[in-house]
Amino acid sequence: MDKRLAVCAVAQIKNHPNYHYLRFQNMLLECFEPILEQTKATFDMETGIRTIITCSDDVFDARTISDNGITDVVGAHFRGEEKIAQESINGLGYAMACILSGHDDVILFMGHCKESQGESRRMVSNLAYDPFYCRPLGMDYHNVAALQARTYMEKSQVTDEQMAKIVVRSRKNGAKNPYGRENKIVDEDEVLNSPLYSDPLRELHLYPVTDWAFGMLLCSEVRAEEFTTNPVWITGYGSCMDRYFIGDRDLASNFSLKNAAQRAYAMAGIKYPREEIQIFELGDQAAYQLPLWAEGVGIADEGQGGKWLDEGGMETFNVNLSGGQLNGNPLLLGGAARVIECYYQLSHQAGERQVKNVKRAVAQAATGGAGQHQAVIVMEAQGG
Amino acid sequence: MAHHKKNRNVGIIGIGQTKHSSHREDVNQPELIHEAVRLALQDANLTMKDIDCVVHGNMELFEMVHQPDLWHVLGTGAYGKDCIRITTGGTVGATLSCASDNLAASGMYDIVMAIGFEKLQEGHTTGGITNMADPLWFRKIQAGALTGSSAYDVEREFGLERANRASLTYRIIMDKHACLNPNAHRAFGLEFSQIDDLIRTSPKLVGELKLIEMCSQSDGACCVIFACEQKAKELAPTPVWIRDHITVHREETFNIFGYDRTVPVIKTHKFAAEQLFRRNGIKDPINYFDVFEMYDPATWWAIDWLRDFFALPGDEHLKLVENKEIMIGGRMPINPSGGVIGSNPIGATALIRVAEAALQVRGNAGPHQIPTPVRHALASGFGGTMWTVMTMLENELNW
Amino acid sequence: MAEYWGVTVADIFNSMPERFRPEGARDVAAVFGYDIKDEGKWQLTVKNNSMALEKTDDLSCCVATMAADGETFVGVNVGKVDATNAFMSGKFRIEGDMVAFGKTGRLFRKFVLAGKGMTTREYLADMFATIVPRFKAEEAEGLDASFAFALGGADGGQWSVFIKDKACTVTTTIEGKPTVTLEFNDARDYVDFILGKIDAQSILAAGKAAAKGDINMMASKWPLLFEKYKDPLGGNVKEQELLTLKKTISINQRFATGPVMGKFLRGLKDKKIYANKCPQCGRLQLPPREVCAECRVRAADFVEVGPKGEVRYMDVVYYAMPDPLTGVARETPYGSINIRLDGCKGNETLPHFIRKDQIEKIQMGWNEMQGTRVRPVWEENRSGDIWDIKYFEIDE
Repeated sequence: MDKRLAVCAVAQIKNHPNYHYLRFQNMLLECFEPILEQTKATFDMETGIRTIITCSDDVFDARTISDNGITDVVGAHFRGEEKIAQESINGLGYAMACILSGHDDVILFMGHCKESQGESRRMVSNLAYDPFYCRPLGMDYHNVAALQARTYMEKSQVTDEQMAKIVVRSRKNGAKNPYGRENKIVDEDEVLNSPLYSDPLRELHLYPVTDWAFGMLLCSEVRAEEFTTNPVWITGYGSCMDRYFIGDRDLASNFSLKNAAQRAYAMAGIKYPREEIQIFELGDQAAYQLPLWAEGVGIADEGQGGKWLDEGGMETFNVNLSGGQLNGNPLLLGGAARVIECYYQLSHQAGERQVKNVKRAVAQAATGGAGQHQAVIVMEAQGG
Repeated sequence: MAHHKKNRNVGIIGIGQTKHSSHREDVNQPELIHEAVRLALQDANLTMKDIDCVVHGNMELFEMVHQPDLWHVLGTGAYGKDCIRITTGGTVGATLSCASDNLAASGMYDIVMAIGFEKLQEGHTTGGITNMADPLWFRKIQAGALTGSSAYDVEREFGLERANRASLTYRIIMDKHACLNPNAHRAFGLEFSQIDDLIRTSPKLVGELKLIEMCSQSDGACCVIFACEQKAKELAPTPVWIRDHITVHREETFNIFGYDRTVPVIKTHKFAAEQLFRRNGIKDPINYFDVFEMYDPATWWAIDWLRDFFALPGDEHLKLVENKEIMIGGRMPINPSGGVIGSNPIGATALIRVAEAALQVRGNAGPHQIPTPVRHALASGFGGTMWTVMTMLENELNW
Repeated sequence: MAEYWGVTVADIFNSMPERFRPEGARDVAAVFGYDIKDEGKWQLTVKNNSMALEKTDDLSCCVATMAADGETFVGVNVGKVDATNAFMSGKFRIEGDMVAFGKTGRLFRKFVLAGKGMTTREYLADMFATIVPRFKAEEAEGLDASFAFALGGADGGQWSVFIKDKACTVTTTIEGKPTVTLEFNDARDYVDFILGKIDAQSILAAGKAAAKGDINMMASKWPLLFEKYKDPLGGNVKEQELLTLKKTISINQRFATGPVMGKFLRGLKDKKIYANKCPQCGRLQLPPREVCAECRVRAADFVEVGPKGEVRYMDVVYYAMPDPLTGVARETPYGSINIRLDGCKGNETLPHFIRKDQIEKIQMGWNEMQGTRVRPVWEENRSGDIWDIKYFEIDE
């Protein structure tokens, strides 16, 4: 029986501050066509794509059942389509289940999000809180992140200057990514002086408003050679949910991420992540999260994030060479963007970002405030 | 259609439902979910410790809670567990079941808990459904999930009187079933003698579609626990096996209402049923299945769809209804639970179909249990822009 | 006799004869037993579509006997205890022929909690006697309305409630033309409705009641004008007040049209209706979509169609739908039509509305039969919106 999932092809449009001239249908279509072109996959009921997994969110789309507006542009007319309304990284976990179960052998995975469409994404994430207590208090993902940032900076001695360095690095890396959002290259002073959003987080510490769409062709081990000569394998997935109320959680403990990472590593047969994995793409919706999540996935020691940054941990472990979500991916699609970067690296298509001798990569992403739900994917190169 | 042998078989080992009703102000969302979760765990004789993965689904815009599984963890018990949040349309409950089946069959998880929920009183349902429509044009024109088109269809083909009577007969059968189901939201105690009265007095919504013929809006939750074959055999005296499932969506435009039968349109229910039965070698579905829990949002759709699901010729589908063969104890019992017309907490509705079908196979549905043995059950989901999900449940692993 | 939820075991048995449903007993001829712990034993005989109930000490002749404690038995009957769960957890047991006993479920209508110690008549008297004390004058600013209640059945009667100059009066007749009239076939249902035991939607759906006149006045204004009626018998148990939080949530959106929808909407500005064509199967799409879903290819060619066409299908909508974009309820009835514009074929139709006063005159098309010919009525000032066409009207 299969133990792994093949990624045969990916397609994406450029991350953009505001695709005011495109509907999300157009954005998806720009990804749909290249996938079919690259792989020659069909929608034949016997041998083709019978299941399409999509990732989007009704509140961002301002449509109930927003996937009904995209059935045609993802090829799902008279085929199956299932929508993951969560961080897109879980779409890959679910696709893995569909294939390993034997129910499917070829899956098209598509996702879209137009953060620019709504008046404010903070109004959206405020709606993720219960209407009685947290919502009226004005909680949203940004200011809950600020609470976590304060807790974590205290615990692991992470400084404002280090956070500024993270942002500067992200923009430099993002500039080398042809699909990266085009941002101003900034220096540390600019970050330290950017407007304060929720103490200690400033505007530049937070990922910018972004529109984006992607597509991937996924299949079972036996079918991969039909679609590509250079597949990349997903060998592990794990996720974990933390408690809801902020006061019930230890915000700097990485409870859910440690569990998710352990589960993914166990599935992929990874014992020593620091030795066995060369690429780490982590879900940095805010700058402070890089060292925090690095502790969670086990490449920085507990409570030593600040030291790890100083010692060049980000370069040692090739963290977020793509520029990360911090350079610009929409909420919920950060995970797919991380996986796509891992795919480029493992299939040697990462251009000037290419790392030599890569065998394995890890992608991580979180749903909810302060990483309440975490998920981790382990990927391997062909012959890895 | 290619059909692969599943990596592992999957069985349903626990079922829990809240009482569905129009008003549950006494509980908030996580509390409502918790009721169903507790009942399912009790039913399976498990604790939350035994669950590996939780699958959550509903429709965000009905209650206006973004990523509701985050808050609902207070009721789902998902703390420390793997979680997936999946959603489609009215089909979401059926998709939860398909997803749980895939997750448990994959070898990634042994025991998976699916939770479908909706508190429709916390939003405006018809408004919420109209929000489905494209904001650039159709949102300004649509009227929720209401259309008289199926009524018009049946009426054109069989005459208004026969159509109306069949529709009301179906309605009253559903009510009689709902009266036997302690969880049903609407159980009026209607009688067949009221058919003529109801045709005359029930307020019209759209065309021939009357209030009495339309599904309710309910608050409720449903929780179903799935386990891989080995665990199911260890833990459950009578697991209900999932044989197969299929999902078929279609484009969003409603060009199916052109009423030009000279240009036939394939319907998703028909297409899905044909594919599913063919790949499972089922030649005579009406005799193969002992019960069908159908997602019946309105009587007209229900009587029309019987033909599509079972590939019935001529007026056989109407005769099934007219001769009351779809009642508990009849030849093809439909919705012993009272169906969607009886209870409709949308995010849970299609999962309730699977749950109720499983209860029948297990043989302990309670007062609405079919008296003869139930070996093969079918459940359907409907939603989006005429989407279909179908699930086959069986009492023995023999395929 | 212990009470559970205000009901005794005897209440359930005593109401059996009036709840009995002969049609549920057609295929039943049997004697059933009920053994209720600490309460007694009852024997139910069903045959020839009729029933007889008696208290007894000996249930040996019963084909099946249900055994439970009083709380479970009452709970299952009043819907407070889940029967399946009670059964599975052994709270009630069926001894003997279980399948036969299953049929008892069909024999009776549901037990409805009636207020103990207050008849329907007493409730109605109390409900209308407390109208004036419950009246909230500050909500009646500028209101001149009358609400009539025609409640049928043995315990029913007629009442009118007049609101004028911020004052409220009640009479026991219905005169003149009330603003809105609420009719109930059975006054008992009205009492249950006011006590919150059944919801309005269910009563209306079942044809047990009807509202005539300004229904909105009753649905939205009445609850504001009066404090909620408190059940005098509810005073024995101090119930927790249930709070609900009312919020309107909206996030302003800027929807992009994209090139394809944009072409269609811009066309409306110029009084032109564009469909797009699939390069493979040739079908036309209205409004245009980015791809042909059937062929999974871009449909880039635009074709001007209409503006006249024929009605293929019409929905007459009676349900007052709120426009989700504005929240304002549409005026009913209106005719929602699918039009096959000239140049389109088969099922290639566009949905829109028909002129309000022409609903009655519309013939729908069917297969080769042609429907009524219609033409669009354009707005004077057009902005590139589906409402640039006000509606379609008969092309005469």
